[in-house]
Amino acid sequence: MRLGKYEIKLVPKLKVNGWEAALISFVAVLIALIIVGLIILKAGVNPLVGYKEIFAFAFGSKFGLPLTINRSIFILLCTFAFIIPMRAGLWNIGTAGQLYAGALGAFAVAFAFGAKESQGLSVSPAIIIPLMILGAILSGAVIGAIPGLLKGRFNTNEIVVTMMLNSIAFWFVSYMIKEGGPFMGGGGEGEGFKLLDPLFGPLVMGQPFTIIIALLLAVVLYLLFSRTSIGYQIRTFGQNPAAAKYSGISSYKIPLLVFILGGLIAGFAGYHYFAAVPGVYKITMNYGDLGDLSFYGIICGLISQMNPLAAIPIALLFGGLTNGGRFVQGKLKLGFGIDYALLGVLMISLVAFQFFYRYRITWERVKEDQ
Amino acid sequence: MPKETIKSGDVILEARGITKRYPGVVANEKIDFEIRAGEVHAILGENGAGKTTLMNILFGLVQPDEGDILLHGEKVIFKSPLDAIRNGIGMVHQNRKLIPAHTVIENILLGHPRAGNILDLKTTSEEISQLCKKYGFKIDLKAKVWQLAEGEKQVVEILKALYRGAKILILDEPTSALAPPEVEKLLESIRIMTSQDMALVPFITHKLPIVLTVSNRVTVLRRGKVTARLETKDASENSLAKEMVGREVIFRLEPVKVDLGKPIIQVENLSAYDDKDCLALKHLSFDIHEGEILGIAGVSGNGQQVLAEVLAGLRSVEEGSIFLDGDDITHSSSLVKWKKGIGYIPENRVDVGSVAEYSLLENVLMNYYFDGNYSRWGILEDKKIKDLTRQIISEYSVAAPGPETIAKNLSGGNLQKVILARVLSRNPHLIIANLPTQGLDVGATEFVQKKLLEAKRAGAGILLISEDLDEILSISDRVAPMYEGEFMTIMSVEEARREDIGAMMAGLKQEAQLT
Repeated sequence: MRLGKYEIKLVPKLKVNGWEAALISFVAVLIALIIVGLIILKAGVNPLVGYKEIFAFAFGSKFGLPLTINRSIFILLCTFAFIIPMRAGLWNIGTAGQLYAGALGAFAVAFAFGAKESQGLSVSPAIIIPLMILGAILSGAVIGAIPGLLKGRFNTNEIVVTMMLNSIAFWFVSYMIKEGGPFMGGGGEGEGFKLLDPLFGPLVMGQPFTIIIALLLAVVLYLLFSRTSIGYQIRTFGQNPAAAKYSGISSYKIPLLVFILGGLIAGFAGYHYFAAVPGVYKITMNYGDLGDLSFYGIICGLISQMNPLAAIPIALLFGGLTNGGRFVQGKLKLGFGIDYALLGVLMISLVAFQFFYRYRITWERVKEDQ
Repeated sequence: MPKETIKSGDVILEARGITKRYPGVVANEKIDFEIRAGEVHAILGENGAGKTTLMNILFGLVQPDEGDILLHGEKVIFKSPLDAIRNGIGMVHQNRKLIPAHTVIENILLGHPRAGNILDLKTTSEEISQLCKKYGFKIDLKAKVWQLAEGEKQVVEILKALYRGAKILILDEPTSALAPPEVEKLLESIRIMTSQDMALVPFITHKLPIVLTVSNRVTVLRRGKVTARLETKDASENSLAKEMVGREVIFRLEPVKVDLGKPIIQVENLSAYDDKDCLALKHLSFDIHEGEILGIAGVSGNGQQVLAEVLAGLRSVEEGSIFLDGDDITHSSSLVKWKKGIGYIPENRVDVGSVAEYSLLENVLMNYYFDGNYSRWGILEDKKIKDLTRQIISEYSVAAPGPETIAKNLSGGNLQKVILARVLSRNPHLIIANLPTQGLDVGATEFVQKKLLEAKRAGAGILLISEDLDEILSISDRVAPMYEGEFMTIMSVEEARREDIGAMMAGLKQEAQLT
């Protein structure tokens, strides 16, 4: 393309290294903030003040930071639940349903040990809490196994199956916690019952212990994909199913495996939010909002290019902005939806800037001899 | 714009010092040549010699980094194919760029400046009919393109270029997809076109005899440089091959005779279905011994692909049995078969035999991820695999910088070397080689055949599937012509007469009728 005296060219890149990718993402975030800054300006607020408030609340305040951390862990876990099937070329749109199932599984264990009647626990919490976690991840895995099994066995579309399961799980939770359902809380306000204090998820330095599991998982998954035979099989299946079949990789076991793993982690995300986040400890009335929030896992997975380590800062950013955005909207009396606008523009910008993962723009002065 | 008075022999187009670099490779380096009216100027080169880049530069798809293109002595810059077309250059693609659901005339008109909002099919069809008459093409203009044979589709592409006023026609591998009678017709059309002062520039990888019959001049490329520029009358098949490959090429390999060992694979009464649920293998029985090559000769689509897939464990057996070294493997999975020593070289090396986005190392892993020697507790031992990949690259002289090279940057011949090396490095007892040299250039073909013979000498049994009868007859021990899912016979290669095998491939003769 000619632009004045310069010839602009697109040159394909062979490879992007980690630092370059990080820089590109950073610029993308900056551009998004500038664009949304214009919107904030239009609303009559100095964007710098707006952003200062957002970030100060999300990452620098006593009230905001814990919220950010809890949300980020949740989004990060949902990202992993999306990434694992995606590496095999399969779309897990069912993190919402899987995390509902996880929450129900955890509370079913608590229920079974008499937590609802609040007559004191017959067994030590040191036994019940691990069983609750087990219940959560197994429930998530069972729901997850369904699309995997159908995909491997009958080549059913996994997107349709997972979305339908989301609905089923949503209404099943509703049945369980509302209007006389077995898990209904004492107040009759359409919430689940509250856990007894000893069953609260343990805290590590004031934060839910799940943060350690989530960070550990990032490393484990990274190594799984880069170093192990099973990770290689998953990636090969995702890159080229015909070549995978030729190499003897089972086109039945791989979809089943990745969906079980994905469901398992989403189930754990359900445990995290409803049984380990301080101040919650019950299946809340607005549990559907958490299902919606889980969809940020998809965005986060795609932006991080399915790299579990790269997903950590992105999950933190999204966790912080969903939080801080909502906060300034109230505090500075910005229009309704500014938080969604911020997230939306951010996503578009991050996705658009992935262009630079594959191309670089060069320009040179056109010679004047023509 | 083309001058009015062009005589046969005048230089129309000149390339001077064309250079094009891609990251890590110089695709074209200081290439000079000239194209004259009324002549056929063949550009010859192996895969990866830079033909495609040069072709794309001439047609405006790619801009050279250095060098000039001169049209009638004046410098021109083709920024896009549209510029090239306006300047009288036409392109006949190897992978036809036609719309199958449209008629011939609609395809010819597509993209023509005259095709605005209203199609004037009547005038156009008269004009095209005249073009056909002038150049001796016979084609039904109202036929849909999907109904046409491969040779007719090519005629449509040629007509399309002529109708836009092409004076220079670039032909990409013009004979590659054509049956022998169609090739004859094409050669005749080429003679007529040159007699009308057109210039033709065929780009050719193999098929040296075609070059010798039809061209006036040849330019040979090797590794992006011009290695020879000569008149065809001074050239021979051997001299051209030598310039292309850079060394002497043996066109016929010496047969390797080894004593047959015990049978490796025994197949009895084997039947299987293809993807369309048609019975594609009908009660086949055969065996292959140690140190033996069984050549399956046949036109594609007669069940060879199904046979290969069934033996490799990628397709289920309907009836019959398969024994490998005495073990029943009839219903074993492909993973079990890999582990037991069957090595499969698939027909489709890009979509099945390799993963384009993977590095060479990861592509080698395709046959090693399950191997206990290359992983511990499920964790892959990177160093061992890297060493193996390096060894493959050097032993098979794969043109790649290292194990981290991405497979899609390799030429077809180099990719086939990697696949072959990967499979052979497992020392398989039985090798299934499905069209192992298809689409490869002279040098790579010879290399692949040599490696198969080496494996045979080392005691492997080989099932060689090929459409090239010369290949089958030169390296097999026994030959089985295949037609509609059956072997017409299985005979030793010494007894096989070429004409008989050819007739049986076409389903014309049964064994009993041979004398």
